[in-house]
Amino acid sequence: MSNPLIEARSIVRVFDNLKVLNGTEFSLSEGEFVAVTGKSGVGKSTLLGVLGTLDPSFSGDLIINGVNTAEVTSQRLAELRREFMGFIFQDFHLLPNLSALDNALLPAVFSGTDTRKVRDDAAAILSRLGLRNDNTPTRFLSRGERQRVASARALVNNPRVLMADEPTASLDEESEETLFDLLDSLRREKGFAIIAVLHSKKILSRADRILELKEGILHENHA
Amino acid sequence: MKTMRKAISLWNRGHWKDYVFSQGMLLIASLLLVFFISIGLGVGNILQRFLSSDLPEEQVRVTPLGVQAGFFQTERGGTEITENLLDSLLALPQVDRIDPQVYAHVPAYLRGLLGGRNYYTDITLEGVSDAFVPDSMLEYIDWNYTLSDSSVKPLPIILSEDLLILYNAGFAESNGLMGLTPEGVIGLEVRVNVGSSSIASLQAPPINLRAEIVGTSRNTALFALAVPIEFVEEVNALFLPDDRHTYSALMVTAHEAEDVPEIVRYAEKMGLSAETRRGIAQKAEILVGVVTAALGALAAAILFSAVASAIHTLVADLKNRSYALGVLVALGTKRERLVYIFAFQIFFMSLISTVSGGLLGCALSYIVSTTLLNLLPVLKMAVNSLAVFPAGWLSAGLGLVLSVSTVSAWFFFRKILATPVTELLRR
Repeated sequence: MSNPLIEARSIVRVFDNLKVLNGTEFSLSEGEFVAVTGKSGVGKSTLLGVLGTLDPSFSGDLIINGVNTAEVTSQRLAELRREFMGFIFQDFHLLPNLSALDNALLPAVFSGTDTRKVRDDAAAILSRLGLRNDNTPTRFLSRGERQRVASARALVNNPRVLMADEPTASLDEESEETLFDLLDSLRREKGFAIIAVLHSKKILSRADRILELKEGILHENHA
Repeated sequence: MKTMRKAISLWNRGHWKDYVFSQGMLLIASLLLVFFISIGLGVGNILQRFLSSDLPEEQVRVTPLGVQAGFFQTERGGTEITENLLDSLLALPQVDRIDPQVYAHVPAYLRGLLGGRNYYTDITLEGVSDAFVPDSMLEYIDWNYTLSDSSVKPLPIILSEDLLILYNAGFAESNGLMGLTPEGVIGLEVRVNVGSSSIASLQAPPINLRAEIVGTSRNTALFALAVPIEFVEEVNALFLPDDRHTYSALMVTAHEAEDVPEIVRYAEKMGLSAETRRGIAQKAEILVGVVTAALGALAAAILFSAVASAIHTLVADLKNRSYALGVLVALGTKRERLVYIFAFQIFFMSLISTVSGGLLGCALSYIVSTTLLNLLPVLKMAVNSLAVFPAGWLSAGLGLVLSVSTVSAWFFFRKILATPVTELLRR
C-alpha cells in the first residue's frame, strides 16, 4: 500500500484554552475524495488550515508527501503548498482587482515560474469551468463565477491534493452539482485527491469517505 | 525579471493611486531637502564672503570700542587711541611695527557723477598709511599726498567694498540708479570738499580737491573713505589745531603670527577692540554656523514630517493589503520572495520619487536664486548664484531619504509577513 499523501497524528489545536482539535487523526490517500462534516464552529476550517500548513500553531505530527512539517522551514512549507496542494477557500480569497485569469495565475507568477505554459492551462481550466477569459476584475463577477475562479486557481498548478472549505456554500443546487461534476471529471483525469468541508448531502454521496468532526476528533461516518 | 514585473503589475493593479500620496510626500521631502541644502550652503557662502577679511595673519587691527559710524561719532567715547597708548603698544616685545590710522575731524563732502547722475554725499575721511594698502595696489598707485599736491595729482581714495554693497542695496536701489562694482568705480574722478558738509562747516574756508577712487578694500572702516594719512594729519592740524590728537585705528604688525594673541590680550586689557584674521574668521564661522544650523533644523523638521508621512502612508497601504498578502502566502508564495519583490518595488518607486524630487529641488533653488539675485543686486556683488549644488551633500541627503523610506517600509512589510497566514486572511 502506498504512503498516504497526508497523514495527521494526534493533532491538537487550542484557541484560548479551548481544544478545537483534540488528538485528531487523519489520512488521505492518492486520488481519494474525503468529505469532512460537522456542526458550525466545530473546527472544520481549523482542521483544513492545519492540514493545509496554513496554521502552524498545533501539536502532533503532520506528514505531507512523506515530509514532517515540523522539520522543515516555512519556505519549504510554502513550496509544498504551491506544488502539492490547491486551495478553494470558503471566502474564495480572490484579489478583486484582477481578472479571472490573473487570479488563476497568481501562484505561478509570484513563485517566479514561467507563466506561458501555465497561462494556457489556466485558460483551458477557466474555459472548462464556463468562465470567460477576459479582463473583467473578479469584483464584478457573481458569487458562483468567483467560486469557479477560485476553483480554477486551485487546479492550475496540477495539485495532488485539492483542499476545499465549503466550496459550494452559497451556490444553488444546480451550480453545486455543476461544480462537482467538473471537479470529479478533472479528478478522474488528473488523479488528485480531494479533502472538502461539505454540508450538501448530494455532494457528500460522491465522497469516498465521510468524516465527521465532533469534539475535536474525526469520526468515520458510514451513513 | 519578467515574472517579477508581472508580479508587481498584478499586485498594484487598481492600487496605483494609493501610492500617489506617499510618493508625492517623498518627492516633496526630497525637493525640500535639496532646496534647503542648496540655498543653506549658498547663504553660508554669502555670509562667509561678507564677513571675511584680507587682514594678514600677523596683523592686529586695534580700534576703540563701540560702533564707528564715521565723522559724526568717530572714535570718541571709551578709551581713545592716544600717542601714549600707541607708544605703550609699540613697546611690547611682540610688536614689530604700528601703522596708525586717523579720522579727519573735519566735515567733508563728495560730489561727482556716479552711474551717469550727479552724486553728493557727506563723507568721513580716514587717513591710512601705505602699510594698509595692499602691495598689489601700491604697484600702480601713489599713496603719498599732501595739500601741496592738489594742483598736480588727485587725492587717492580707497572705498570700502561693504559701502559699495550698502550703496547698491540702499541708495542705488531706492533711486533707480545702476549698481556699482569695484571695477566700475576704480578710476572714477570726484570732487572732495574739506571743511564743510551739508550740516556742518568750520570757520576756515573749505578746500576743494580733485580726487580719484583708486581701489576698494574689505578692511576700511565702513563709513569712511581711506586716504593717505599725512593728508588727514595736515587737514586736522589746519582746521582744528587745538584738537587732541588721537588715532582711529592702529594696524599692529607682530614679529610672528604666534605673537598676535599676546597683542590682542594687551589691547583688550587697555579697553580697546582688537581684530585678527582668526577672530574675524571665528565670528564668521559662528554666524554661518548659526544660520546653517537654523536652516538645517528647519530642513530636518520638514524632512522628518514628510518622510514620516510618506512612510506612514506606505505602511498604511501595506496594512490595508495584508489580506492580499495572506492570499499570496496561502497560495504558496515564499515570504522571502514577497519581501524581495516588494522591497524592489518600494525601492524603485522611492528612487523615482526621490530623484524627481531632487531634480525639482535643484530647479526650485535655481529659480529662487535667480529671482533673489535679480531683486537684490547687492547679492550679485558677493556671489554669482545663491544656490550651490554640492553633489556629495545632495547625494547623501537623497540617499538618506531613500534609505529611510525603503528600510522603514521593508521593516513593516516583514513585520506584516511574520503574521500567521490564518490571521492575515481574516479581513
